Amino acid sequence: MEQNVLLDLSHISKRYKTELALKDINITLHKGEILGFLGPSGSGKTTTIKIITGQLRQTSGEAKILGTDTVNIDDSIYEKIGVVSDQSGIYEKMTVWQNLSMFAKIWRVPRIRVEEVLHQVELYGHRKKPAGKLSRGQTQRLVLARAVLHKPRILFLDEPTSGLDPSTAVSIHKMLLELKEEGMSIFLTTHNMEEATKLCDRVALLYQGKIAECGSPKELCLKYNQNKKYHLLLHNQEEVVLEQSPQNIAKISEWMQRDEIQCIHSCEPTLERVFLQVTGASLGLANI
Amino acid sequence: MENINKLTAVAQIKWICISRNTAIMIGPILTVAMVWICKILYGINSGGDLSPMLVSLLLNLGISLNLCLDGFIMVGTAIAEEKEKHTLRVLMTSSITGMQYFIGSIIFPFVLMNIINIVVLLISGVSMSQVSVAAFLLVSAAASLISCVMGMIVGLCAKNQMNANLISYPLMFVFMMIPMFGNLSEKLHHISGFLFTGVLTEMAGGFAEGIPYTFKALDITVLIAELVISILVFLMLYRRNGYEKD
Ligand SMILES: Nc1ncnc2c1ncn2[C@@H]1O[C@H](COP(=O)(O)OP(=O)(O)OP(=O)(O)O)[C@@H](O)[C@H]1O
Ligand SMILES: [Mg+2]
Repeated sequence: MEQNVLLDLSHISKRYKTELALKDINITLHKGEILGFLGPSGSGKTTTIKIITGQLRQTSGEAKILGTDTVNIDDSIYEKIGVVSDQSGIYEKMTVWQNLSMFAKIWRVPRIRVEEVLHQVELYGHRKKPAGKLSRGQTQRLVLARAVLHKPRILFLDEPTSGLDPSTAVSIHKMLLELKEEGMSIFLTTHNMEEATKLCDRVALLYQGKIAECGSPKELCLKYNQNKKYHLLLHNQEEVVLEQSPQNIAKISEWMQRDEIQCIHSCEPTLERVFLQVTGASLGLANI
Repeated sequence: MENINKLTAVAQIKWICISRNTAIMIGPILTVAMVWICKILYGINSGGDLSPMLVSLLLNLGISLNLCLDGFIMVGTAIAEEKEKHTLRVLMTSSITGMQYFIGSIIFPFVLMNIINIVVLLISGVSMSQVSVAAFLLVSAAASLISCVMGMIVGLCAKNQMNANLISYPLMFVFMMIPMFGNLSEKLHHISGFLFTGVLTEMAGGFAEGIPYTFKALDITVLIAELVISILVFLMLYRRNGYEKD
């Protein structure tokens, strides 16, 4: 296996009793990369994470994590990876500090690292508070702090920002990018397309248990930019959307020369539009 | 042991969770309080000095309550609480093994149950010269261990704390009620001899009545058999789903 491929799924499928939740999933995660698994509710994101992290056995196919087949991993794998599931809990009766120090003990992490992480998630000032008293965003930051305490090589995040306010989400994004700078690889799931565009080096669009598309967000957006369009706002407050055509180009260049344009944007599709186009389905609330 | 740090971390987590959960800690407190209050009430009726029969009754009450109320509930509810708060999965994905979780979960309840058994013995007012301390400690340890393993089974099956209590009731009915009411009916008394709780209450009752204790083959068989059976049941259930069903 290539040195910097940390994760390699080939032909993974998963059947729950009657339902086929995953169908032939193939994906790799490289060192220092943020990979996003995007998909609507029920598309199999959580199932995928559970299989890779050894919490669930696949029906067929092979998954390798850090060079070992997930069928053969034992509990020591968790010393090298960090897992935040969609409902990771905290010990509400313990203080913030205790919540981390217990896990520091499990992983033999020095005290100074606990302090460092607490500063990083901006919870140092709350370290003596019972964790049950934290707000939702603070709780999520504590969960994240715990998952990275032992500097895992791969961090798995199942919908790390769902249900959080935008500013907390942004602070979590910032932290994830910092972790990436430190060389950590991150595998995250989300149904927030904007988040994926901003964070991920590569995204896989999951739909009904299959990967419908995979690539960098930019690549995908450009790939599906079939009929180019431009959105213009003129000085007379008129808004127009023009397709790429000889007449329109002449028109735009004329407006430009006369300085009649207030602003101009190219209309390549967002990841969301790509997703809708690929799957022909709506993403519910995320729909514009 | 190489991973003693993991074991102590689990034990420490359990210590904090159990000792701060009033629904759980009410058990041991109630046990001691009941024995204390009953002693006072019996004392009023019999003019201060308790007959050996009453001392035996007190011991029976305290020990049965302790082994069942505290054992099943303390261990079982604590695991159920972890499922309810979604921390069990976190522990199991932090490199804690099933074995470490098992041992870490029962250390504190085990120690506490043995302490309470001794406290009950002291409160009851049994004359210590009639007590074979070593035998009592040994049987108390064995019975507490069985109770803890049964508590682990409760925890394995329970989805939440309410559920854990519900699952404990039938166990409590058998292992607590039968020895408690053994004095009332010869038949119950006979059955009680086949229960790990009954072995300890019978022994304590003997102390109260001044009968010197000798190890009986039946007692040892009962203790070993019930320990082995509860461990096997635990393993069977654990093999199927682990601590938490997916
Ligand atoms: N334990 C289970 N038993 C049966 N079916 C299951 C089980 N877990 C998941 N499923 C089914 O598998 C499919 C994929 O579920 P999964 O939880 O992976 O979706 P998801 O992409 O994580 O969704 P969400 O965004 O809502 O978290 C769903 O249709 C779900 O009903
Ligand atoms: Mg999910």
